[in-house]
Amino acid sequence: MTFARFPYLSCILLSCVIGLLIILFLPERRKQVIKWVSAVFSAIPLMFSLYLFLAYDKSTGGLQFVEKILWVKSLGITYFNAADGFNLPNLLLTGIVFFTGVLTMWEMQTRVKEFYALYFLLVTGVFGVFMSMDVFFIFVWYDVSLFPMYLLIAVWGTTRKEYAAMKLTLYLLAGSALILPAIAYLFVKSGMNTFDIVSLMQPGTFTADQQKFAFILLFLGFGILAAVWPFHTWSPVGHVAAPHAVSMVHAGVLMKIGAFGVLRVAIFLCPQGWQHWAQLMALLAAIGIVYGALAGLRQTDLKFVIGYSSVSHMGVVGLGLSTVSADGLNGAIFQMFAHGVMTALFFSSVGYIYDKTHTKAIGELGGLSKIMPVASTYFIVAAMASMGIPCLASFWGELVVFISAFKVYPVRGAMAVGALVISALFMLRVVQKTFYGPKNEQFEQLPDVPFGLAVPRMILVAVLVFFGLYPSILFDVIETASIPFMNGLP
Amino acid sequence: MKWMIFSPEIFYLLAGLWFLALSMLPRAGSGRNYFSALFLAAAGILVCLISVKSAGTLFFNAYQVNLFSQVFKVLLSLGLFLVICLCPNLTAVKAKHHPEFYLLLFVCTLAMMMLVSSAHLLAIYVSLELSSYSLYILVVLRRGKDMGIEAGIKYFLIGIFASAVMLFGMALLYGTTRATYIGEMARVLPGVIDKPAVVIGMLLTLGGFFFKLAVFPFHFWAPDVYQGAANQVAAYIATASKVAAMALLVRMVALTGGAAASKYLVHVLVVLSIVSMTVGNLAAIVQKDIKRMLAYSTIAHAGYILIGILSMSTAGYGAVIFYALSLLVMKFTAFLVAVKVADDDRNLDIDRLAGLHQRSPLLAMALMVSIFSLAGIPPTIGFTGKLFVFLAAMEQGYFTLVLIAMINVVISLYYYLLVLKAAYLLKPDAAVSEIPLSPQAKVLTTALIVVMVVVGIFPGYVLELAEAAARAIV
Repeated sequence: MTFARFPYLSCILLSCVIGLLIILFLPERRKQVIKWVSAVFSAIPLMFSLYLFLAYDKSTGGLQFVEKILWVKSLGITYFNAADGFNLPNLLLTGIVFFTGVLTMWEMQTRVKEFYALYFLLVTGVFGVFMSMDVFFIFVWYDVSLFPMYLLIAVWGTTRKEYAAMKLTLYLLAGSALILPAIAYLFVKSGMNTFDIVSLMQPGTFTADQQKFAFILLFLGFGILAAVWPFHTWSPVGHVAAPHAVSMVHAGVLMKIGAFGVLRVAIFLCPQGWQHWAQLMALLAAIGIVYGALAGLRQTDLKFVIGYSSVSHMGVVGLGLSTVSADGLNGAIFQMFAHGVMTALFFSSVGYIYDKTHTKAIGELGGLSKIMPVASTYFIVAAMASMGIPCLASFWGELVVFISAFKVYPVRGAMAVGALVISALFMLRVVQKTFYGPKNEQFEQLPDVPFGLAVPRMILVAVLVFFGLYPSILFDVIETASIPFMNGLP
Repeated sequence: MKWMIFSPEIFYLLAGLWFLALSMLPRAGSGRNYFSALFLAAAGILVCLISVKSAGTLFFNAYQVNLFSQVFKVLLSLGLFLVICLCPNLTAVKAKHHPEFYLLLFVCTLAMMMLVSSAHLLAIYVSLELSSYSLYILVVLRRGKDMGIEAGIKYFLIGIFASAVMLFGMALLYGTTRATYIGEMARVLPGVIDKPAVVIGMLLTLGGFFFKLAVFPFHFWAPDVYQGAANQVAAYIATASKVAAMALLVRMVALTGGAAASKYLVHVLVVLSIVSMTVGNLAAIVQKDIKRMLAYSTIAHAGYILIGILSMSTAGYGAVIFYALSLLVMKFTAFLVAVKVADDDRNLDIDRLAGLHQRSPLLAMALMVSIFSLAGIPPTIGFTGKLFVFLAAMEQGYFTLVLIAMINVVISLYYYLLVLKAAYLLKPDAAVSEIPLSPQAKVLTTALIVVMVVVGIFPGYVLELAEAAARAIV
């Protein structure tokens, strides 16, 4: 554990909070100023997270850039941030999606100030969950990232937005209703009067029964946010209704904090519970993969297609986590990163198409590649990533997860790979219907993506391709955490 | 100098006398009443703060001043001050009744202060009645023919019923323990608390405070009274009066000497807690009037508070004291928004919040923070309060109870979000103007938002104070 000489991690949070405060004090009519402020204060966390990712010392591993302050003494709450191989890819992902999300919404005109204020609040929570090493703070950040979602969807959303917003909020907070008692239970049972994960994860802190009990609550609680089947129904509905940047953050990052919560809280604190419930986790994940792919086949709305493919891909993350192996963890974290970038690209490009055509119905679109070749390219790249084509980042995540899953659960692994074929089928169908075939005359005059708006999409494509070509950069970092963690298990 | 420890009570008594004198003088403009009330209430906070460290006993030990009582006195004086801040345009009460209105508010606060210090059953009873009677009249004072009177009569009838129950309980307690002093009782009770007569006596005595706090089955009055009373009076009942009730519940339950000895009592409290929060939350879902909704949410909160009380540990009592502060601030903020939006003193339908984010962004934000705080979402004071209560309960092993409470929190979120939806999403039917806020009101609103968030994030100091106060009575 090396302490930070400069509080990089806190600066990421601080940049979000300062950006939020500045936006709150700007008048609504200065829309352009608000957008520039948002762009600047979302670029800072991206740069910091990129710096941390590069500066992390892989040879020593462990927790680095540690910041630790006692917060509430009588309850042993510490403000404890650290970077390790598990959260660095996710911090980087959040930085990328945050920044590109701001740029994606550049053309928005309604209630700009409130939108960016809530958007910043949401992302502050997400960053907080990823960097915190204190269970109490993880819970607080987790809830902070959830409640702006209600307004973001209900005010700026589109399809059945009020229903979707309410459903999403209630589902996710039902998850936190399971998490809080579980955390309180572990806190009390440890008898150590601390929420510090590093202290609590020492072997022997909890008995096997306590771990089994707490694990299932934590898994279900965080799992709802990771869209674990059968608690996934909020997710496609929410993705569809949310405004584009929120869909990007939501599918790209927010669902990852669910999976990350399972790892950081449930698996770290209750490894025996993890081993005990792994079979169930694998089963739910495999069903999710198959179910998401099958449901995606039948959708007629572009965003629903992406929503169900997210359910399917998050199933891959779940499957990786359920293998109880270092390879599985590596694959899961890699898949979290790859899927985050990929979905962000998906929603970003659908966002552009929807802004221009005002429809997301696959049947009404058609031949778009002739009208907007650039916008179409972005979607098709994302679709290829979703199918798991080599040279794009998603390929590696899925490959590693499936290999490790085959070793442990051959049948469920085979189911998952079969579902991958289905998902390739439905992605190809969507691409074919939307971008090829006869043109829809009424969209003939629509402009293609101008350069300024193409920047966020280009960044996302570049990241997908870069980590598709050099996956070891990411795997090397993840392994510094996963291998010691697995070796430390009893 | 012994009487120095009595200074808050003396101060509020003198303030009450001042308004009594004003009520007999020829009527002047309403400004004089309001400003003198505001000044006196602010000075009252100061007096309470100065005497916060004092300790001692008075009146043959029937009156006990310690950190516990003084912390609650600060909270009560704060509650009074906040409510008076709502009264610059007090049109809900006839102008000629204004001195009486303030007189009753100050007397009621005085009575509650005496209540939290009382260490003798009779003193408790007398103070409780004094505060209740002031409130009965305050409810009736609302301008208009029937609403206030109807609510006042309901309040009065249920109130005297609760007092009768409480007196019966006190008689039983005296009959079984031969003690009327709280200190003596604390020695005798732990040994006999599992005897049926003592359990019944204790529960009936608590009934009087359950009535104040609106705990099931003494909750029926709350929605009607909140709806019928003037908005300012409803705010007072929802904040200061609840704080006093929490203090007394903690005090009485602390007499029993721990959860291990009094398992029957705990069983009953668990049931009451679960029913209170479930009934409150389910009934709140269908409410159209924001005050009725807040009344049902108060009933639900009473359930959460009972969780802390039935933990019967220092941590639990400390958590309840912390919760008292959080309830005071967040409930008051919700009422502040209601008062400002309903400037014509009518009751406020939730739909009438439509377009609030345009009419006054500051009020909309205050409403949002208070709603999230009431719903118990971090990083607000309401979440921190709930967390401490739940941790205290978990330490005593009430896992299922905490889980049920969390499920209730999710249910409650539904109707809280509907309020938020009205404020941020609904379009008003007709064109509505901006809500004018005086600079003082802006400062107050901002301060409340800051307190809700900052104490939520940095609870350390307040929590330590609350735990120190709790140790004073255990």
